[in-house]
Amino acid sequence: MNVEELVRDALRETAEAQSPAGPGLADRVLAVRRRRRGRRIAAAAAATVAVVALAVAVPQLESAKDDVRPAGLLDGSGTSAHPDQSPPRELIAAGEVALAAYYTTELQERIGEHAVDLRTYWLLDPESGRYEKDTRWSFVAVSPGLRTAAVLERTLPAKRIGLLDLATGEVERWIPVRHGVGGLAYSYDGTKLLATTYDEHPDLREGTYNAKTGGIGWHEPVGRTARTGFTVLDPTQGTEDPWRGLPSDRNANFRSDLQFSRDGRLVYSKIVGSRDGMQKFYDLTGAAVAAPAEERHLRSDVGARLSPDGTLAALGLTKEVPDKSYSSIRDPRTGEEITRVRGAELIAWADDRRLIAWERSAGKEAYEPRLALVTLGSDTVQWLSGPRTQGDSVEWDWEPVFARR
Amino acid sequence: MDGEAQAGFREFVENRSSALLRTAVLLSGGDRHAGEDLLQNALIKAAGRWHRIDEPEAYVRQILYRQQISRWRLKWWRREVSVAEPPDTGAVYDDSAAELRLVMRGALARLTARQRTVLVLRYFEDLPEAEVAAILGCSVGTVRSTTHRSLARLRALAPELAALTAVERVPDFSPVEVRP
Repeated sequence: MNVEELVRDALRETAEAQSPAGPGLADRVLAVRRRRRGRRIAAAAAATVAVVALAVAVPQLESAKDDVRPAGLLDGSGTSAHPDQSPPRELIAAGEVALAAYYTTELQERIGEHAVDLRTYWLLDPESGRYEKDTRWSFVAVSPGLRTAAVLERTLPAKRIGLLDLATGEVERWIPVRHGVGGLAYSYDGTKLLATTYDEHPDLREGTYNAKTGGIGWHEPVGRTARTGFTVLDPTQGTEDPWRGLPSDRNANFRSDLQFSRDGRLVYSKIVGSRDGMQKFYDLTGAAVAAPAEERHLRSDVGARLSPDGTLAALGLTKEVPDKSYSSIRDPRTGEEITRVRGAELIAWADDRRLIAWERSAGKEAYEPRLALVTLGSDTVQWLSGPRTQGDSVEWDWEPVFARR
Repeated sequence: MDGEAQAGFREFVENRSSALLRTAVLLSGGDRHAGEDLLQNALIKAAGRWHRIDEPEAYVRQILYRQQISRWRLKWWRREVSVAEPPDTGAVYDDSAAELRLVMRGALARLTARQRTVLVLRYFEDLPEAEVAAILGCSVGTVRSTTHRSLARLRALAPELAALTAVERVPDFSPVEVRP
């Protein structure tokens, strides 16, 4: 017997000594997956945070001065719900926020064993109040006020950023950038635009060829990130601050978009760690820093983050009963739970007492979430969209992008 | 994931989880709990893309292999799996096959995840070097050298195996291969 044979025997002996996997594994996996779904929409949810900003502080393009869109759509505060629509066709809004856009992703095979997950956006037409498909963009961040969106063209990383007038559908300004950009986010007050730079397509997928079956399985590259750094731009002036490189981080996802902290003085991104929702902060020179006091207890996978007045923190799913989910509302300074509110994933604050959330459809065993307006201190939800259910079309898995109107 | 997809996922897990768990435990150096965690995380990822996966088992195995190596790269993940009792390398040599396999199992647990993964793919899954290279995203040469170094490392960890290698040439006792 040689060493190779001994290795083979020892491995087989260890394998055979294992008792079968316990029952209920699939259910546990599906339950955990429901809780982690926030990770998959982290980019959209985090973008939501970035675009939720005070309308009064919104810088507007020159063209916006002549805006003649009907009042009440962008400027209103009423609730616009379409519980029969998924994906939505008409305006969804509540309180100070509106669904500014949504997107779907579809795998596009490229060469050999590489492919990309390409996004297709539907943008709110502020005149008609309907969502219109716009295939020109691979990434869209909507500014507070819903008048302008920062966009990237189909090829990523992109070498220029467009500022799209949502009323006309025309790009008002192109801002060239020195480093390829793959993700965008507005600051809370809308005065700054954060561009995350990458050296590869951030939505790259690697395929594994199975010689026995001839099939290919696609997955995100693991253990490395395509992110190289970031740059901060002034969208009104079209100017770009110096690019800041970030060291390669094994704990960052392949796409690892940065977002502004509430005060815009720091940026952060989600990191992969021993638990979900971990976040890592950097100052605007790219140096790693501690989380700000009021954001240290937040989770990177819960988009709502701080309430408009900054006194409440939206955290993650904490309780499930048949047909109902509850998420935690905490004191941002201490991390202590203040109350629980309906909702499996808190996406955005509509005002200081209400949030927009994904909440599971009643009477369904499968997790089929709908957008819902939930209220602190109330067990009642108001459905805003139809259930997001799986179907043959890629459109079933639409991801929302909210912005303050 | 709709009801039909969930049913398909459940059926797959029910039929294949025990086999997948065996591989996961091997990749984890014999640590059952770590193997269960590894498999559960791989299944969560697979569930997320269930409707796009043509070959679920191949896909889950791929995640297992890569995830294990990826975990090893994380700072807080143990670089070596601890064993209940450290191998007593100074023990009196017992030439029984069972005793040797026990020694070998202890030594396997002390390899790096990457080294162990290569050995599992080569000697448990019986995959050719080219297929191992494709799965791990490296060259055939890297698979070959990692295999070689892993076996050398086993010999270094368990001198009891020396008798098996008396007629073999042991060219490389370099310690652990660390890739960035």
